[in-house]
Amino acid sequence: MATVKLTKVKKIYDNNVVAVHDFDLEIQDKEFVVFVGPSGCGKSTTLRMIAGLEDISDGTIEIDGEVVNDLQPKDRNIAMVFQNYALYPHMTVYDNIAFSLRLQKIPEDEIYSRVTNAAEILGITDYLMRKPRALSGGQRQRVAIGRAMVRDSKVFLMDEPLSNLDAKLRNQMRAEIILLRQKLNTTFVYVTHDQTEAMTLGDRIVIMKEGYIQQVGTPTEVFEMPKNLFVAGFIGAPQMNIVNTELTLENGTYYVSPFGVKLPVDGEKGAALAAKKVKPGPVALGVRPEHIVLTKDAENAIPCTLEVNEMMGSELHLHVYTADETRLVVRVPTISLDEQTRKGLVAGAKVYLTFEGKVMHFFDPESTENLLN
Amino acid sequence: MKHYSDLEFLQLSKWQRFLYRLLSFFASIPRGLKNGVFAIGRFFKNAAMGIGREFRDLVTTFRDGDGNTKLSYLIMGWGCLRRGQILRGIMFLLFELIFILYMVFWGGYWLSMLPSLGKVGPGEAYDPILDTYVYQYNDNSFKILLYGVLTIFFIIAFIYTWRTNIKQNRIAEQILKSGKPLRSGRDDLRSLVDDQFHKTLLALPMTGILLFTVMPIVFMILVAFTNYDGTHDGYVNNLFTWVGLKNFNTMLSWTGAGGHSYAATFGEILAWTLIWAFFATFTNYFLGMFVAMMINKKGIRVKKLWRTILVLTIAIPQFISLLYVSKMFAKNGIVNGVLMDLGIISQAIDFMGSQAHNALLPRVMVILINIWIGIPYLMLIATGILMNIPADLYESAKIDGASGWKQYTKITLPYMLFVTGPYLLTQFTSNMNNFNVIYLLTGGAPNNAAASWATGSVGYTDLLITWLFKITTGAEAQYYLASVIGILVFVVVAVITLIVYNVLPSIKNEEDFQ
Amino acid sequence: MTNNTSPKRHMGLKASNAISNTLIHVLLIVISIIWLIPFVCILLQSFRVESTWQVGYVIPQKWGFDNYLSLLQTDFKRWYLNTLIIALVNAVLQTIIVLCMSYTLSRFRFKMRDALMRFMLVLGLFPGMLTMIILYRVLKDLGLTQANAVPGLILVYVASSGMGYYVSKGFFDTLPKSLDEAARVDGATRFQVLYKIILPLSKPIVIYTILTAFMAPWGDFVFARYISFGTSAGMNVAVGMYNWLNKDMIGSCYTMFCAGGVVVAIPVAILFMCLQRYYVEGVTGGAVKG
Repeated sequence: MATVKLTKVKKIYDNNVVAVHDFDLEIQDKEFVVFVGPSGCGKSTTLRMIAGLEDISDGTIEIDGEVVNDLQPKDRNIAMVFQNYALYPHMTVYDNIAFSLRLQKIPEDEIYSRVTNAAEILGITDYLMRKPRALSGGQRQRVAIGRAMVRDSKVFLMDEPLSNLDAKLRNQMRAEIILLRQKLNTTFVYVTHDQTEAMTLGDRIVIMKEGYIQQVGTPTEVFEMPKNLFVAGFIGAPQMNIVNTELTLENGTYYVSPFGVKLPVDGEKGAALAAKKVKPGPVALGVRPEHIVLTKDAENAIPCTLEVNEMMGSELHLHVYTADETRLVVRVPTISLDEQTRKGLVAGAKVYLTFEGKVMHFFDPESTENLLN
Repeated sequence: MKHYSDLEFLQLSKWQRFLYRLLSFFASIPRGLKNGVFAIGRFFKNAAMGIGREFRDLVTTFRDGDGNTKLSYLIMGWGCLRRGQILRGIMFLLFELIFILYMVFWGGYWLSMLPSLGKVGPGEAYDPILDTYVYQYNDNSFKILLYGVLTIFFIIAFIYTWRTNIKQNRIAEQILKSGKPLRSGRDDLRSLVDDQFHKTLLALPMTGILLFTVMPIVFMILVAFTNYDGTHDGYVNNLFTWVGLKNFNTMLSWTGAGGHSYAATFGEILAWTLIWAFFATFTNYFLGMFVAMMINKKGIRVKKLWRTILVLTIAIPQFISLLYVSKMFAKNGIVNGVLMDLGIISQAIDFMGSQAHNALLPRVMVILINIWIGIPYLMLIATGILMNIPADLYESAKIDGASGWKQYTKITLPYMLFVTGPYLLTQFTSNMNNFNVIYLLTGGAPNNAAASWATGSVGYTDLLITWLFKITTGAEAQYYLASVIGILVFVVVAVITLIVYNVLPSIKNEEDFQ
Repeated sequence: MTNNTSPKRHMGLKASNAISNTLIHVLLIVISIIWLIPFVCILLQSFRVESTWQVGYVIPQKWGFDNYLSLLQTDFKRWYLNTLIIALVNAVLQTIIVLCMSYTLSRFRFKMRDALMRFMLVLGLFPGMLTMIILYRVLKDLGLTQANAVPGLILVYVASSGMGYYVSKGFFDTLPKSLDEAARVDGATRFQVLYKIILPLSKPIVIYTILTAFMAPWGDFVFARYISFGTSAGMNVAVGMYNWLNKDMIGSCYTMFCAGGVVVAIPVAILFMCLQRYYVEGVTGGAVKG
């Protein structure tokens, strides 16, 4: 059993800079939790506090029900993969992986079986006698994971392990980490700044900004029900389009009027608004680029001019601007366009956009909170 | 002085810009000094506040502590022992016992004699057994001063330990109250190689520094306020005693017989020391950089050979090089011999100032020979840094049309200055105290007769530090004078360091305009 | 910017480069000669047999090993042995102390760290000679001066060597802290981190420190002179040979000085040249970290 519980954890540096505010989280046994957020949001700091590499200014951290605030890293039964791998340069791959086992005075034959086992799973058996400087980035990564694997620890911590790899390798390693997770069957805490990694790897995602938790939820939850503007903009690429507009209520139906075009809020969203008796007023309307539709019907559609057309392969990313110079991004599957329409999408072309009620997100312009929370 | 905004500055002509930056630099010096003084003031204020906090803490700990804590104010380690921390308790107790014993038997005596530095000097006394007058040594001023200072240090250490003892009591109470166990003796020992490892590692070096550097310096500072010299050596000849600021007054006074005062001597030597340090540092720096760049240039062959030849100079012990070169330039030395053989000169040139007429030539020679000694070292450093400058900076500059000289002044030089700024400062201050080069080359010659009246032979190439050495090893050995000079040297060096450190950042901001 | 695609222009660039390179080569040759002259002279003079005082010519008229033999009849043997012992002991002890100090200041962040570094900076601004007077008196009382100058000198060198941590600390700062952290997560104590991880990676700086600690006593004049205080048996080579060049002795000892200089310089120089690479690494890596 390896649960991790953080209660009101705070980190304040000597110069009174607060890096992490009141962090509360309960991680279940064998759960894969991802801390994600922009640089400086406190995710690495929190991870290092779990590891014992940073002192905890306030609050408690429990691993498996035991308070570990005062325990040294080696007594917490954790393993860690560092961003720059931190492999011991003067030791062979075998010795690197065996290092912690030798410190525990485990007999050499058992060390041999554990290390070769891990090496086989990771596919690095051929490199066991090499030194780190003779390995590529991806291979070093695997050695770092191997070093953490052999310890049979309760919690597996990973600090931005894929940041130093090129794009292609990153995709490959992401899949391997998922496979690894299935094999190891232990609790993972993973830190990254890349929301794609967070969405694909995590059972649950913890989104952080400037030391505060913004939202905790499954990938689906944070994607479909972002709690505030920050989460809405952070998850999903390209970013969600945000437009300031008015939410009106007429005859029991809610309407929004982005750029002077009145669109009804139909479907479940409309019903949800009604159920919560949301008051009409100024609202920050959010729509994801993939949910906006090109339409030929100029009525009830937002007129825009095309600025840049990015050819992404299976879809086009259209960067358009409205009459008042607001910029929007639309994702259009190439396959949904006929030849003529596609050829017509050049700079300066006029396009008409619309979207349904069920893809709309509503945020309070001042508090940035989702109105449907 | 008018302060320009960015855009306004950009519109000025080149001359105007230069003048503006020059004036800004000078304007920033008083600011730098002010910042430095404020920093010192803040330091003292923080220290005072810290002490106030300590006292308050002592009072509250006593008031809120349990019986064991209260008793620990008197018997150190009591709290630790009663709470099961045997090892710590015993160590505190032992320390207290040793301290009390020391103070009773020895410390008290030394402290009591400190104000007077000895009452009974050596003299004749009647010895009843031998039935004659015997010369007796009685009090020892030196020992009194030394052991008195040591005792004071010991007292400070004791107060600190006592304070730690109190603090630990308070922390222990808190830990027990929250239900957690205390660290046992074994835990303590184990932590010495882990989280408290830094204390273990620092123990020996810091003890050495405390005993062999801090203590002597404190002692010598105190000596500046006594009249300790050859005739008042505190034991054999006479006792010495406190004279307050008399020595400083003497040193800084402009009066004095023989048409020359201490202050004038000091001023002359200080001036030369500063000039010497300036030239020694910067000639080596720029010439070393120049040589490094020459060797580093593309198209120069056997780079390693040139570097090795120069590095050889570092390998050979300096005293050999310096002593031999000084003899080479002597009046009957090799250089003069060869020059006369070649017919270039008819009379030997007095390079090293063996006769007191021309002060300029020996001074120039000293700087030149110092270049010979110092360039290899600077060349090494410059080479290392040059190799680190990204090559694409130069490539981009070449495309932009920059000539070799422009590349040097706009890329190489700023980069070098940035990286070696602090190093230059330390080189300057260490050149001010560069004993070996001056003493072994000229011994301070040629003799400065006017300045030598008070303190024995002083020369035109003497630095403050060689003057200090001569004073302490001369016939009269005026130690108190040496201490005063040492303190003044320190003040000069400290002021320079302070100014530079506080002015440098502001210069860097000006650099951004380039 | 002029167009330099025409052949004439192209040759101009090459030609001007060749000229400047030749000039520089000439300059380097001149510099090399100037730098080596004193050592060549000292070497030649050490073989001069026809006279023992200072002369105005370089090449000896009669060659021989007389000067080297006369070295053996003076206290030179004693001085050499003294300096050698001091250098060896200092090399070991000083290295240990400096490495302890610089490793701690590089790796650990404790409350007094900044204050300590600033304090030592200020301490270093005092002229070192000032401490000699009292150290001499204390050492005298302990019997560690004059004839027993060797242990006295060693004590003085080693005790305050902690202040020379700057270069080593600069080196340790370049080793990534994540190595320490990975080892601690793997279960090592701080002590184990030091000797299992950090030290094996610190070969250059360790050799640099040993080298400089070994070389320093050969050149120290002031402290050795003070502590030996006129007793020949306690002098090191610098002090002893210095006396050979004063007014009364230079007549008979000049060539012996040259021979002694060669004997002292050659082993130290050879050692330095062998380990030169580490010295350069230490100086450029750690010395100017700014």
